[in-house]
Amino acid sequence: MRPLVRLLSTLLALAFAAAGALLALEVGWHWLRPASGPLLVPWPRWQAGLASLGWDAYAVRVGAGVVAAAGLLLLLCALAAGSRAIRLTDPADEVSVSTSPRSLARLVGLAVRAQDNVAGATVTASARRVRVRAKSALETEGELRPRLLATVSALLDDVPLVRQPKVSVVVDSPKDRR
Amino acid sequence: MTKSVAAKALSRSYTGERTLTFLVGLFALLGGALALVVGFGVLGEFRGRRPLLDPMALEWLGGHATPARIVAIVLGVLLLVLGLRGTLRSLRPEPRPDVDLDRTEGAELVVTAAAISGAVQADAEQLDGVSRARVRAVGSRTAPALRVTLWLHEGTDLKSVWEDLDARVLTRARESLGLDVLPTAVRLELDTSAPKRVR
Repeated sequence: MRPLVRLLSTLLALAFAAAGALLALEVGWHWLRPASGPLLVPWPRWQAGLASLGWDAYAVRVGAGVVAAAGLLLLLCALAAGSRAIRLTDPADEVSVSTSPRSLARLVGLAVRAQDNVAGATVTASARRVRVRAKSALETEGELRPRLLATVSALLDDVPLVRQPKVSVVVDSPKDRR
Repeated sequence: MTKSVAAKALSRSYTGERTLTFLVGLFALLGGALALVVGFGVLGEFRGRRPLLDPMALEWLGGHATPARIVAIVLGVLLLVLGLRGTLRSLRPEPRPDVDLDRTEGAELVVTAAAISGAVQADAEQLDGVSRARVRAVGSRTAPALRVTLWLHEGTDLKSVWEDLDARVLTRARESLGLDVLPTAVRLELDTSAPKRVR
């Protein structure tokens, strides 16, 4: 999301610069020589078009809807572009440590897969939450889940994280389907 | 809450870009919603039927032609300057500042960003469990910092690397540079191991 926001903000800033330049140019030109036509932007034609269009016109409603939707999209992109890094406690003054969600997920995944009777596992991690989805052919969810929870919690206690994420474990086992 | 130099060095700041995108999005959303409200006649049937370019507004603008023109030109120049600054800011790569060791006039001593990153990188790669390291200088000339990215072998104890790094690599860097504090941001990444061959 971060490269996208960087690209979007570049384009927006460029559009602002272009619009500002055209605005200053056209207004200044019209002020100096009211008799001659517009310089670059055919604004008298636009003016006539806008003057004949009512607020309740279909095109205006559609345009307003599109602008509002695009605004919402930009808003969501900006909100989603926060840093996802997971902070670890600082070992010394002026030293800060972080790790990526992917690395933490990998760490948890290794520990989970090393457990007995786990056929496979997928792990997603963020600073707030670690989700584990394990597959087992031999044990039911009731048997395996407490063990995996304990393993993951012990592992996370050992990593000096700034905030302890909540752990959720789901076990997918054919034994539960009977 | 102000972030320390070391915390800021963890990653490039996106505050400016996010704020711009957020504000533009917010204004577009509010403007579009307001236009929809007017267009559907919520603010009165009559209001909805008036033209977009309202004669009343035009009349008022015509009455204040000179101030309106000055405001428009100033606004245009302002937009141009701010827009160009924002564009350059977003496109500029993250700076790699050199570190000033001594600012006394006539005896200035500067360590280039490449020299300090090379030295720390070579040290960091010697640590147990570190498969590769990347070091770069970040921040500004007045508040430089190091960003160290370490890729760890699978199964490495995170805590021991985290302690070793400060005790050996960073302390050495500080001592050799004669600095009391060298703000550093460390990013730890867990490497995937190469598949092991079964014998």
